[in-house]
Amino acid sequence: MNKDIFALLLAASLVPAAAVAMDHSVMPHPAKVALAVGATLDGNGRIWLAKVENQQLWVSWSNDDGQRFSRPVAVALEPEDIGASAENRPKIAVAQDGTVLLSWSQSLPKRFTGNIRFARSIDGGRSFSVPITLNDDGRIGSHSFDSLAIDGAGRVAVVWLDGRDRDAAREKDAAFAGSSVYFAQSLDNGAHFSPNRKLTEHTCECCRTSLAWTAEGPIALWRNLYGTNTRDFALANLGTGKVRRATDDEWQIDACPHHGGGLAVDGHDALHLVWFTQGKTRQGLFYKRIAGGRESSPMALGDPAAQAGHATVAAAGSMVLITWREFDGRVYVARAMHSTDGGASWSAPLRLAESGGAADYPLPLTDGKQALVVWNSATEGVRILPLDVGNAK
Amino acid sequence: MIRRFLFGMMAVLLIAASASAAEPVPFTVNSLAKIKAQYAGRPFILNLWSVNECSYCIAELTLLGKLAKKQKRLPLVLVATDSPGFAPAMQKTLGPLGLAGVDSWVFDDPIPERLRHAIDPSWYGELPRTYLYDARHQRETIVGVLSEQRLRAWLKKHKLAN
Repeated sequence: MNKDIFALLLAASLVPAAAVAMDHSVMPHPAKVALAVGATLDGNGRIWLAKVENQQLWVSWSNDDGQRFSRPVAVALEPEDIGASAENRPKIAVAQDGTVLLSWSQSLPKRFTGNIRFARSIDGGRSFSVPITLNDDGRIGSHSFDSLAIDGAGRVAVVWLDGRDRDAAREKDAAFAGSSVYFAQSLDNGAHFSPNRKLTEHTCECCRTSLAWTAEGPIALWRNLYGTNTRDFALANLGTGKVRRATDDEWQIDACPHHGGGLAVDGHDALHLVWFTQGKTRQGLFYKRIAGGRESSPMALGDPAAQAGHATVAAAGSMVLITWREFDGRVYVARAMHSTDGGASWSAPLRLAESGGAADYPLPLTDGKQALVVWNSATEGVRILPLDVGNAK
Repeated sequence: MIRRFLFGMMAVLLIAASASAAEPVPFTVNSLAKIKAQYAGRPFILNLWSVNECSYCIAELTLLGKLAKKQKRLPLVLVATDSPGFAPAMQKTLGPLGLAGVDSWVFDDPIPERLRHAIDPSWYGELPRTYLYDARHQRETIVGVLSEQRLRAWLKKHKLAN
């Protein structure tokens, strides 16, 4: 990202600083380094980037594989506390008609509370609708870790972790383990959303969710709670609501892993999962493929001695691209590996780039032909790293 | 009148002092060695938490706070995996839990993995996490919430219980 443009824009924006009322009953929110970005490729091969600076979400695009980006446009007029660190990041998607859709998690002053926010652009990212809050329970409660998926033709789904059932139970002095997954859907590219629906109860509270649009509609992946505290992953189609266990790692932990999983669907409707576990069955970072009722055995990713973690997967056509981050004792390293046959065989893991300071997790992008990795870091800024994938099928 | 005002002021200051904890010390790659030197030949509890991202930690700190109130000599070291910018939030959290006087540290490195590695190479950042060090500094690792029962048994074993 061009830092000069950001600086100019920030300097030129004449938004008066809002008078911040200090309420001492609430937690102060120190400015966290907002390095976690959202990115996507549209149907024309354009890279879109959503980046948080100064409590604003900025959207820009590149026509030349990330060499130059357009002037970033602020999504909202009012600043807000947007989750953009660790496993929280803004989400961006572009529909076939060019509608740009965004979702993010907003933190509220009271600890562990927030809102799931949504905005869109129908003029190619020149201007954005006033952000709306998707959670419709009217509570100051926990709403976080949103995921956004679209079918490209107008259908939109947003899922998130929601504390409303736990809060309601607590008000009646009843016990409630974990959180819940809720979602909202749109049939008109985000102009209107259906009322919230509950997908499931008793999920892990502090790991990202993931959402992918298959031929059978949107499928969500999240870290679930099995029994008292076994935190393995579950999958469910939002339409049927049928929840199935996705991993059998048997990770029993009465704690927040802060380390979730990712899901993508390829052009042949195969699901690709990446996830982290420290379970009895296996420990580390893993990949597997689910297609036609069959599953590949979990394949270990990365170097456990380098704390390999926070993998993300992208897929299109027969291309599958996985990225993750390691720390080699000296610097952060962005790693990637790809498959051009739908996950049957894989390239050797590549060491793509390094950073000696604070950094985001690398994000994979593919349209089935090219494979790119987006990596933001405090020192180097946003880097777009292309992979040589030969002649992809 | 003035005396009453001064009394009032003093009361306010006292309440403020008791409610908010001392500023946490920045925790860097060498900090664990310093902590161990400070507790040379003595057992101690190293508790890892986060003020911003761990609801389980608050439950655990509530337990530790209750214990600290009864147990004046509790050898407890708290290390938050947030960043120094969170110091005021940490102080506000620890004070009311009765942990104002506890040895408190906060991660200070743009690469938290470096600090995690210095503490325990097998730790990926799950919280809470506790290490019970004996007098020879052999340690037991507790992943997840520490149970009151286990903590009391450990205190008794190391002759730290009241």
